[in-house]
Amino acid sequence: MLYVVLFFTVFSFFLYVLLGGADFGAGILELFSSADHKKSIKKTVYSVMGPVWEANHIWIIILIVILWIAFPAFYNVIIIYLHIPLTLVLLGITLRGVAFVFRHYDAVKDRSQLLYDRMFEFSCLVTPIFLGMSFGTLISGNIIIPENPAEANFADVYIHPWLQPFPILAGCFFSALCVFLSATFLIGEAKEYEKRMYMRKAGIATFVVVILGFITLATGYLEDNKFINDLLKNYYAIGAVTLSGILLYPLWRSIRAGRTIWCRFLAGSQVLLVLWAAVGTHFPNLIITKTGPVSLLDGMAPDSVIQVLGISLIIGGLLILPGLFHLLKSFKMIKILEDEKN
Amino acid sequence: MDNLDAARMQMAFTLIFHIVFACIGMVMPFFMVISHYKWLRTKNPIFLTLTKSWQKGVAIFFVTGAVSGTALSFELGLLWPKFMIHAGPIIGMPFSLEGAAFFIEALALGFYLYGWNKLPKRFHLFTGVIVGISGVASGILVVSANSWMNAPSGFDYINGEFLNIDPVKAFLNPAWFTQALHMTLAAFVATSFAVAGIHAWQIYKKRNIPLHKEAFKIAIIFGAIAALLQPISGDLSAKDIAQRQPVKLAALEAHYETEKGAPLYIGGIVDEEKGTVSYKIEIPKALSFLSFGDFNAEVKGLNDFPKEDRPPVAITHYAFQVMVGLGTLLMFSAVLYFISLKKKKWQESRKYWLYFALLSPIGFLALEAGWIVTEVGRQPWIIHNVMRTKDAVTPMPGMIYSFYMYVVLYIILTISVTWLMARQIKVLNHTDS
Repeated sequence: MLYVVLFFTVFSFFLYVLLGGADFGAGILELFSSADHKKSIKKTVYSVMGPVWEANHIWIIILIVILWIAFPAFYNVIIIYLHIPLTLVLLGITLRGVAFVFRHYDAVKDRSQLLYDRMFEFSCLVTPIFLGMSFGTLISGNIIIPENPAEANFADVYIHPWLQPFPILAGCFFSALCVFLSATFLIGEAKEYEKRMYMRKAGIATFVVVILGFITLATGYLEDNKFINDLLKNYYAIGAVTLSGILLYPLWRSIRAGRTIWCRFLAGSQVLLVLWAAVGTHFPNLIITKTGPVSLLDGMAPDSVIQVLGISLIIGGLLILPGLFHLLKSFKMIKILEDEKN
Repeated sequence: MDNLDAARMQMAFTLIFHIVFACIGMVMPFFMVISHYKWLRTKNPIFLTLTKSWQKGVAIFFVTGAVSGTALSFELGLLWPKFMIHAGPIIGMPFSLEGAAFFIEALALGFYLYGWNKLPKRFHLFTGVIVGISGVASGILVVSANSWMNAPSGFDYINGEFLNIDPVKAFLNPAWFTQALHMTLAAFVATSFAVAGIHAWQIYKKRNIPLHKEAFKIAIIFGAIAALLQPISGDLSAKDIAQRQPVKLAALEAHYETEKGAPLYIGGIVDEEKGTVSYKIEIPKALSFLSFGDFNAEVKGLNDFPKEDRPPVAITHYAFQVMVGLGTLLMFSAVLYFISLKKKKWQESRKYWLYFALLSPIGFLALEAGWIVTEVGRQPWIIHNVMRTKDAVTPMPGMIYSFYMYVVLYIILTISVTWLMARQIKVLNHTDS
């Protein structure tokens, strides 16, 4: 059962990054677009993500719940020492969610739309930065677990670990990754005349992702970050990252040829390869503190809990995944039928 | 305010808001589905307009409920890490099932909102029913996790360690049924009276009367039935608390001296220093009867418990009075509604509509008061008789700033949601149907 639980942990993490990430990316795309493009992006995003918009963000709740049930000690480190960035993530998630629904369900469409738009775009930019920063902090080796929390210096323990070049770069990298995902996902949904716009944006995003990825890795290497050093020494990890880089070529070809499904598949796999490299090299020691690694499996919940959780997850998965698949598929079908009609 | 109190205030504050959003998101889908069903049956366009308008309400409240719920799932850990490290695995089962139920609700809502004229009619209606059912299910599951804090079970607490964990037993803890029943009914009462009240106000103001009358009819019936059932469920809860948490019972009744044939206090001003209650109305032997079904049963008083194990008495007592008082008012209003079905003349009077309009916030006030009773009444424990709240709080100082941030955020959210609803109604009144 432990493997079932681990599978769902990784699965919900990956899905959140892919689907939630693409959602965030859409808002960032909107932010960095001219007024004309903004409108069309808004429309496309709504038609594609509307029906699943909330579902995409439930993956993080599932992930958090699995972590606290099955891996409470590991979760405790995250939740205590990343209190501030995570609170900012929450602020962003809240503002983003309400702005998205307000702008589509406000009965009167007037100037308040502008405010919703700004709120949506801005929180879409900020939230993944803090998410990436949180992840970056966990693997940075900056976290200090004080022996006596009462005497610890506030700034040293709760602020400095995440307010460092490496976590900040990781945050920016994740944001760029979101834009990359979103732009490649949206190409297939766009009308013919908009395709060029998305292609250009996807191109820019790819460029930024590669550059930021390189800078982040380089910073980690120069700071003598254990996680990055191990990653660079691990052949599988290097293989995965290289493969992800090589896949850029077929991705570019399929974008040009307008092969929607391939685009998504390739972009998704590239992100997963990078994540796999990052998570895989150090598994299960996914947190690295000043004093040493913290394993996901340290202080794990007892077997009875893992059993019940595994069964709940299987049942939940059996109920949810077909529904989700059907939701995506049926609206896709409807969209295709409508397009044919037009 | 010290760190502990700031964390407590933040938790209370965010829960107070989340509960409102969550209850509306739980109950309104049922109104929407009934109206939708009536539209399919009668083809009266009023019902279509109403369904579409309520569906927007459901969408807005669902999302505010969802994001405030996401915030809460983090806050449990952010504020009470020492609680979560032990309790997380034990009460994980209801939480993981709740995650699944919530996910299904989100999927079904996606189908529903975007399915107009696209999905087969019956299937479309069915997805709306699923939204409602899974909403109620997730509400019940979350309450089960809360009831475990009142009635910890499914583990052995030996030398400060939680051993022999049985998640199923923890899930089906002794308090889960009474609490879940009471809360589900409360959600229906509060939301129904609130929605019905808003439509009653529109009728009072003579705006689009045919539509608002239909809306009122659909909304009030749920609340009226639930309000009549609620006292029975309240009685079950009281008897349960008397057995399991006698100190909470003593606090909510402000009952200091242990006695046989204990009287029930109504109202009164509590002096926690002296341990007295003045200006109260006493009903002889009623507390013994209500708690144990025996007029001469012994009810333990607060003085029998060590000072450090007692909850804040005044707040708990006042909140309890407010809950019971307002609940009773709503019960009588439900009776009034059923009589008005026979005496049609009443419904022609504007006073009738004004009365129901004024009732609209009452259900939610009672519901919040009830949660204050449960939560404050459990203090100083976060897990009853096992872990104290002060031992669970995060070691990070400066929680007060986090509290201020949430206050600002949620006040803005509330203002904007209210404003959006007002705009919905305005538009609704200008549609021709």
